[in-house]
Amino acid sequence: MSELSRRAMLAGTGAALVAAPASARISPNSLKPLIGPGYRPTETDEKGLWQQMERVEEEVAGSNLLIRDPALNSYLQGLIGKVGGPAAKDMRIYLARVPEFNAMMFPTGFTVFFSGLLLRMRDEAQLAGVIAHESSHFLLRHQIRSWRDMKRKTNIFAGLAMAAGMAGGVTGTYTGDLVRLAELGTILTLFRYSRQLEAESDALGVKLIADAGYAPLSMSETWDQLITELEWSAKERRKRVDRGYSLFATHPAPRERLKDLAVSAQELTVPGRSYDRGRERYLKALAPIRASLFDDQVRLNDPGASQYIVETLARDGWNGTLLFYRGEVHRLREGIQNQQAAALNYAQAVTYPDAPADAWRWHGVMLMKQGRVAEGRTALSRYLTMAPSAPDAPFVRQMIQG
Amino acid sequence: MRSALALGALSLTLSACVQTRQIADLQFTPPQGDYKLLVMRPDVTVGSVKAGGLTEPRADWTEAARANLVTALKAQQAGRGGQTMIMDRRDSIAGVSADTVAELERLHNAVGSSIALHKFAGYELPTKRGRGLDYTLGSDAVRLGQATGYDYALFMHAEDSFADSGRVAMQVLGIAGCFIGFCAPNIGGGGQSAYASLVDLRTGEVVWFNVVQAGTQVAGIKMGDLRKPEGAAQLVDRLLGRMKPGRDVRRAQAAAARNAPEKK
Repeated sequence: MSELSRRAMLAGTGAALVAAPASARISPNSLKPLIGPGYRPTETDEKGLWQQMERVEEEVAGSNLLIRDPALNSYLQGLIGKVGGPAAKDMRIYLARVPEFNAMMFPTGFTVFFSGLLLRMRDEAQLAGVIAHESSHFLLRHQIRSWRDMKRKTNIFAGLAMAAGMAGGVTGTYTGDLVRLAELGTILTLFRYSRQLEAESDALGVKLIADAGYAPLSMSETWDQLITELEWSAKERRKRVDRGYSLFATHPAPRERLKDLAVSAQELTVPGRSYDRGRERYLKALAPIRASLFDDQVRLNDPGASQYIVETLARDGWNGTLLFYRGEVHRLREGIQNQQAAALNYAQAVTYPDAPADAWRWHGVMLMKQGRVAEGRTALSRYLTMAPSAPDAPFVRQMIQG
Repeated sequence: MRSALALGALSLTLSACVQTRQIADLQFTPPQGDYKLLVMRPDVTVGSVKAGGLTEPRADWTEAARANLVTALKAQQAGRGGQTMIMDRRDSIAGVSADTVAELERLHNAVGSSIALHKFAGYELPTKRGRGLDYTLGSDAVRLGQATGYDYALFMHAEDSFADSGRVAMQVLGIAGCFIGFCAPNIGGGGQSAYASLVDLRTGEVVWFNVVQAGTQVAGIKMGDLRKPEGAAQLVDRLLGRMKPGRDVRRAQAAAARNAPEKK
């Protein structure tokens, strides 16, 4: 191979990589579920995948990370029933106590939701959007399609590398770079394919929630929230925000995804029809575990993200719980200004009837620190009335007598 | 050039091999006579290695292998005089809930991988050096023994994979390449890895552990095939056939053997 043609070939491959077409939006009406109710695999590779996944599900179902609140779980299962399309009855949902925004669908139709996701949702429409997105992965048979694609590409790559190596062997040229470039190309197409799948799930998902009567725009809102949360988190930590969204990110470029979802939502919104947000229903279902979700988030020590979550939820109105947790986020940070902000938030929190007992305790402690001892004692007494058997009750009693 | 090729051929034959290594508790004596053994649900996966190197699980092969292993285990244990019960589901012993068994399986998973890491993979723990197998499943295992009357529990894990025709072709190409100066023979062609772990249900201790690696760098050569009854019997024999006693027991036996002639 002459030097010229080799360079031209490399340049050509490079150009092909750079000039990949920008991902066009997938129209929600162009997608149809590929499976119906009661689907079972018939092909060898899919059967093998299912058998393995059955073991995985057995482990997941018995995991001690799961939140087992029966009412909440049947609420989530009910939501799949609404937005799960034709396979709604075949899907299972497991709620894991992990304070992060994530959910995953397995090839056999069970899905695992992280509790951090529930904390971030403002209403049922937003949660239904994520459930519909995950259901769409199942309905469109994404896992087996992506497995087959990966298999095909690694097979092709093994062939290419071998052929390139042998060509090099024959002509005595060093082809390491070429092989590496081909490898990079293979990896890129793997991820591009995966982005394609995510975009498909977004498109079918938004259609599923619109059909179920939920506000279609809620899905793009969710993405907007997630992106902004990452920005706040990065800013607070003085890190670059795009770290998670580099060349190799498996999800579509988030801003693009948000735009596509908004356009699709517009397309599906029927003028004059009223869409449901289901905020009251959602808060009621989440009530038994909401405080623990906040506690888990605050303990992550990611103040930028935690503060953003509190502020986002407060768009529907401040209350004692949200103010208390905003106080907690400040209290766990350094500096006199944060301590003052914490004190202010606790003081505001206790003016609301839903202020948790802990808000009264910290309000009391902050008052004592400021030298307002009498007021502090009153607040602490209130704490003891609300939580008489708290582990620190004897200690607080001593503070009051102090 | 010729010697290089010969060396290559030698390394190819050497790289296809079966390795076993067992580790026992220092005071371990292999169970004999009238003992009761509970074999926990064997964890088996069999897959096919594709040309690109991905292993694809195969449901039919896995099922055949599991059935063959169970049969081979029954035959092997029957030859030892013990009473054996093999669980095929988590709820197959009366009076013990599937959850209890699941908990124990998970606990063993953690302990077993820890043994594999610190005893076999070379990451030795300074506090456990020279102490044989110093691992336990604790009171959960003892409770299982009390509830069921079994003396030992055996945990078993086996993975097997076979190169498909594409993978074999890839390897033939790679070796052929050696003749023109581009040599890529070592792309691996599937293989077996298995372990067995024996837990004393009276104390909860893991008393004996064995690992079998039967790998081949040459695609298409099978070092025992779990999909066939002979292959499964071979693996059971490699894993459990020659259980060695622990170091203290071996030393005592050796000392007894040395002392015995003097007394005569």
